[in-house]
Amino acid sequence: MRQRGAVGWLKHDITHRGVTAWILTLLLAAFYFILYYGGRTIGGFAVPDLWTGAAEVLGFPHKWLFYGFLYTLAIVIGGAYVMWKYSHNRYQLVRTTVVIFVQCTLAFAIPWILLAFEQPEFYFSYLWPLQIENFYPSNVVNQPLPIILYSVIGSLVLVPVLGVLYGKRWYCSWVCGCGGLANTAGEPFRHLGTKTMRSWRFEKWAVHLTLIAALVVTAVVIAAWAVGDNYPQFEETAASMQSLYGLLVVTMLSGIIGVVVYPIGGTRVWCRFFCPMAALLGLIQKFGRFRITVKDDMCISCGLCTRYCEMGIDVRAYAQANTDFVRASCVGCGLCAEVCPRGVLRLENKTPRDPQELTMSSLLSETYR
Amino acid sequence: MHYVIVGNGVAGTRAAMTIRQRHEPQQARITLISDESPYFFSRTALMYAYMDQLRRRDLEPYEREVYDRQQIERIEAQVVDLDAESKKLTLDDGRVITFDRCLLAVGAGPRMIDFQGLDDVEDGLVHFVSLQDLDTCERLTWSTDHAVVVGGGLIGVELVECFRHHGLQVTFLVREPYYWPAAFAEEEGQMISEHIRSHGVDLCHETQLASIETDSRGRVSAVVTEDDEQIQCQMLGIAIGVVPRVNWLRDVATPPAIGAGLRVNRAFETSLPGVYGAGDCIEIELDPKKEPLHEPIWYAARRHGELAARSMLDDDISYEPPIFYNSSKFFDIEYTTVGEVQDLPAGTNTLYRRKPDAAVSQRIVVDGDNCVLGFSMLGSRWDHTVLTRWIKENRSLDFVRRNLPDAQFDVEFGRVDLDSFNEEMRTL
Ligand SMILES: Cc1cc2nc3c(=O)[nH]c(=O)nc-3n(C[C@H](O)[C@H](O)[C@H](O)COP(=O)(O)OP(=O)(O)OC[C@H]3O[C@@H](n4cnc5c(N)ncnc54)[C@H](O)[C@@H]3O)c2cc1C
Ligand code: SF4
Ligand code: SF4
Ligand code: SF4
Repeated sequence: MRQRGAVGWLKHDITHRGVTAWILTLLLAAFYFILYYGGRTIGGFAVPDLWTGAAEVLGFPHKWLFYGFLYTLAIVIGGAYVMWKYSHNRYQLVRTTVVIFVQCTLAFAIPWILLAFEQPEFYFSYLWPLQIENFYPSNVVNQPLPIILYSVIGSLVLVPVLGVLYGKRWYCSWVCGCGGLANTAGEPFRHLGTKTMRSWRFEKWAVHLTLIAALVVTAVVIAAWAVGDNYPQFEETAASMQSLYGLLVVTMLSGIIGVVVYPIGGTRVWCRFFCPMAALLGLIQKFGRFRITVKDDMCISCGLCTRYCEMGIDVRAYAQANTDFVRASCVGCGLCAEVCPRGVLRLENKTPRDPQELTMSSLLSETYR
Repeated sequence: MHYVIVGNGVAGTRAAMTIRQRHEPQQARITLISDESPYFFSRTALMYAYMDQLRRRDLEPYEREVYDRQQIERIEAQVVDLDAESKKLTLDDGRVITFDRCLLAVGAGPRMIDFQGLDDVEDGLVHFVSLQDLDTCERLTWSTDHAVVVGGGLIGVELVECFRHHGLQVTFLVREPYYWPAAFAEEEGQMISEHIRSHGVDLCHETQLASIETDSRGRVSAVVTEDDEQIQCQMLGIAIGVVPRVNWLRDVATPPAIGAGLRVNRAFETSLPGVYGAGDCIEIELDPKKEPLHEPIWYAARRHGELAARSMLDDDISYEPPIFYNSSKFFDIEYTTVGEVQDLPAGTNTLYRRKPDAAVSQRIVVDGDNCVLGFSMLGSRWDHTVLTRWIKENRSLDFVRRNLPDAQFDVEFGRVDLDSFNEEMRTL
């Protein structure tokens, strides 16, 4: 039951899909709508360009940097809250410190500085395929060589190598800003992610299809750039694929939906169902050293781990069956281990592979429950 | 073959799943009966529902469709009669269920003492064992400012934590001089007592409840202790232990043998043919010369359920209790224990390690031959499987001390530094 009093009501209501949660969702939706469409006329309605105005007042060069400032602020404040809440847990302290640091520097200060020096903006913490533009030739040619090297090595070497050594978490729970926001400001909503089998089935399809889409779009755009002049038709197709992906995946799913649904659908909707990087790192994680170890016969089936897993993993199902596990979607946030009242779970990087069978079919279906 | 299981707690449900794993529905029809909840739920998590961390539905360890998929039939009713000769159960709604094999996994209910004034109590007195208790607690919390909890065991402290979460003033009456002497030596007991107090609980040791006072509508309004102190309260939680729910079995058509609980042998067979027992409700006769074994914890119930099911499936089962282990959490302090740590014979040595600046401690018990007997660990995480192995391997204190880090289970970056502890060795 909720705590008593008005504060108790609000705390419960906003974290349990109550009226206030829906109001917050609407406010977030309005914020993002104005952010993306401010200054344009949509269906005869002139969307006010509020955030450009706000950015000017506050001295930001454009609204996106103003947005970056708000985003960073949310991560800093939410991060402070998380560090206070889990102050007894060193993993959470170290991780959250890194998340805040990366956001403040790589994802905010450095791009701003680059801009001030009239260099093209570059976000060192975002890599392809999440940041798909990193591999679009038209963008690449504008960048200085070190940045091109960084972005190629980052995506093609760093991502898989660190993924094998430490699992998906090195990126999704320590570096990436989307995960960063989810694990800081999103903390009060993390339990809302759906845990049903149906959602899992959808996830497996959706996330891998986005990855395929990202791969195809990247390949087509690069090919069109290489041969473009000779095949104008092809170049046109490539351009429309690029803008479709940009609208649907980058703007809609990652930019807007990802954050807007926090109060009603949980924090990692984009990460879990659509992020191409999640799919890629998930596949790598299955072959890597990361796993969650289960202490045999210690689980009391309380269900806190499952409830607080933001990726909708039924952790309890593994814990009560005494099975160590590696789920592709697991971002290694470590909250299941934190909330477990019996200390059953531990995140580990271990060289001997976990005992799960790793056949192609189990990889695809993840049916070992 | 129709297997009927009375009680859908962890013992009963585990038994049902074990039978289903072995036999298809054509060979084995399985029926689970409960008067508490249509679906198996985790009793151990009641406190998290009370504290709004889980919804009722989250307490269920299996998705509901599992029962249909596994073809396990469920009946929500109370069993009131058992006839082992004609192999029939009678339910409170009059239905009669026939069985080939029956498992009684009816669990335990709250222990109660006939306190003075109890007869006048209509409302305000709670236990914390069943879903219905949870409902009652929630209903009463709205109109409570001060609550009294009686009983210094595991359930008592959980109830206290819930009350504190809801902002109630709590007076916690514990008969013993320090917290839970059944499991702790004085140092640990004091440490936990201090921790409980640090959460704003008025913890009164060596204090017992004498009588209960009620208002004009029969709701608890105050309690009086044996020292004649009156404490105003609107809720009174009684958590002085649990007793097997076997009283109803004393006057059924064919009563099984009952001691303090339903008597079973090492194969989980009761004195009645075709009727078995498992979980909190049983006592196991291991040796006719010794006290029967009563293991009222989750892990044991789960084990019983599985073994009783195999016994019902005609496997040759002879229960040998494994090395004891248990875990708990007192507000923020996690607790792991393995082996024997209390009621030890003279000549036993105990090494007590305490971190000077934090509520973290370890107690390692060794017998006269320097073989390790047990562990009692507070404030950090331990892998009980490693500790159990050391006991099995009769490891020495030196070995255990040297290898202690191998059994640590703390989070990454958070491993407790075992060198910074004060140590004290004592011979009992
Ligand atoms: C608040 C609380 C916290 C706990 N925490 C822990 C812990 O942290 N660790 C631990 O090891 N143990 C813990 N325990 C103990 C643990 O929950 C029990 O040992 C375990 O649930 C026993 O399971 P069981 O299947 O034997 O019985 P139960 O879970 O009690 O199930 C028995 C079921 O049978 C039903 N039943 C009884 N009689 C009838 C009848 N005549 N007809 C129909 N149905 C009937 C009951 O209603 C009940 O649903 C805790 C207990 C409580 C109450
Ligand atoms: S899933 Fe994608 S968006 Fe989410 S944290 Fe990982 S890389 Fe970032
Ligand atoms: S399984 Fe645990 S570590 Fe992985 S995402 Fe879920 S809560 Fe985080
Ligand atoms: S939180 Fe821990 S005890 Fe509870 S279900 Fe999960 S693993 Fe088991």
